[in-house]
Order: sequence, then C-alpha cells, then structure tokens
Amino acid sequence: MDIRLSVPAERERLDDLTVAIAAVMERHAIAQPVIDDVVLIAEEVVCNAADYGFDAGQEREIVVAIRAAEAALHLQFRDNGRPFDPLAQPAPDLDADIDERPVGGLGVHLVRQLARRVDYVRDGAYNVLDVTLDLTPSETGDAP
Amino acid sequence: MHLEIQTAPRSGTTQRVALFGRLDTHSYPQLDAELAPVLDGGDPPVMSLVLDLAGLNYISSAGIRSIFKARKALTARNGKLLVVNPQPQIQKVFDVVKAVPMSDIFTSVAEADAYLDMVQRKVVSGDEDE
Repeated sequence: MDIRLSVPAERERLDDLTVAIAAVMERHAIAQPVIDDVVLIAEEVVCNAADYGFDAGQEREIVVAIRAAEAALHLQFRDNGRPFDPLAQPAPDLDADIDERPVGGLGVHLVRQLARRVDYVRDGAYNVLDVTLDLTPSETGDAP
Repeated sequence: MHLEIQTAPRSGTTQRVALFGRLDTHSYPQLDAELAPVLDGGDPPVMSLVLDLAGLNYISSAGIRSIFKARKALTARNGKLLVVNPQPQIQKVFDVVKAVPMSDIFTSVAEADAYLDMVQRKVVSGDEDE
C-alpha cells in the first residue's frame, strides 16, 4: 500500500480525508484498530495545522502519504503553513488531578503515544511530520 | 453517520445520556449543547451523569475535552461523572490521556446504577436532617 491524498487543511474538509483514509486501508485489509489509530492521528494533526499553521487568506493544503512496509505503517503529513512544530509543544501533565488539569495538548500527546515514533522537519516552505506505527503481521492485509 | 445522543428521562439526581457514533472535532459542539442544561443544574441539580458509551465507536481529543468539561462542572459541586461500556478504541484513548479514573468506568449500566445506589444510601444514612 502506497497512497497519497491531498486536501485543503481545514476542519470542514477533515471528513473527506478521514473517510478516504479509512476506505483505502479497509481495501488493503488493514485491521480496524490500526485504521482507528490512523484516522485519529490524521484528525489530530490536521486540526492542529488548521488551527495554528496558516496565515489568513493563505491557500491551505495538506498532503497525507500512507505507506505500509514490513512491520510498519508510515504516515507523512506535509502542509504549506508557516513553521509549526507540534512536537515542541509542552506535554500535558497527566498526573495532575484530573479536575485541575488544563484540557489542551491532548491531541499531540495521543499522536505520540499511538505511534512508534514521530519526527518533525521544516522542509523549505513545508512542515513535514513523519509518523511511524507498528504493524503486526495479522494487521497487514498484504501479509501472505 | 456522525453523533447521535439519547438523553434519558431524569431519575432523581441522576441523568443518563447514551452516545452513538463518533465524538470528534465535528460533533463535540453537539454534545456540549446537549449537556449544557444538565450541567447548569436544575433544582435539585443533577449530581450523577452516566455516559453510556456502548454505541460510541470513535473519540478524538476534541471529544475528550467535552467529557473533561462535563466532569469538571460536576465535581465542582461534588457530583460524579461515570462512564459505562467504553468500546476498545474509546478505552484506549481514555487510557492514553487518563481521561477518566478507572474507578469511574463501569462495564454495564446496571453496575453503574448499583454503585450510585450505594453512594446514595451512604449519603442518606449519613445525613440525619433528610
């Protein structure tokens, strides 16, 4: 599986992206829990980019590439917004009293926890976020 | 399908709300709006909110924030938010962000009701004026 999807980085268009991601992964017989993780990661990354990444009036585009290889699933999010490193945000303090905790920062934390690794680079005019997930043999439709 | 919300008739100071579908960045305002009158109180105010998640398939951080807000509003008046029957994706996200203490998650509505009855009996027997 090696696919590339491009959508405007806007909350209103998020469904177009996640529905397409889920459909492609289902067609490749990827296990539902993995699809859930990928859809969740896509929602969190695209929402962050849409909220923080763009200047008013700027054309917003985000390209998502998904590639399955051996025991891993590689996701890459590439947007043309201003430099924004989601990994530079402070981690939420999950051990603080639940009722005292601020409610922000959870999206990036979820992405980090669900992924094996997450890397950010600024590549020219683009923010590039690479997310790698573990894929066990039973989760890959491509396995023999 | 997105989010469907079923609010049961109130039973004493306990309100049960069942969620179906997806609680995410698109649908969380719907839940906030539905819960607003519950959290505003009433007379007497709702003290226990039971969220039945058996029919909920997906939650993201936006949905978690709605549940956090509801929990904060209730605990501010010594109320409780209980969660019933979270499906695997929901439980996984709850675990990762420690959204709800394990002791407030139940595997059935009956179990949550029994717990609330027990809490209620303690409150009544401990309050001589009632």
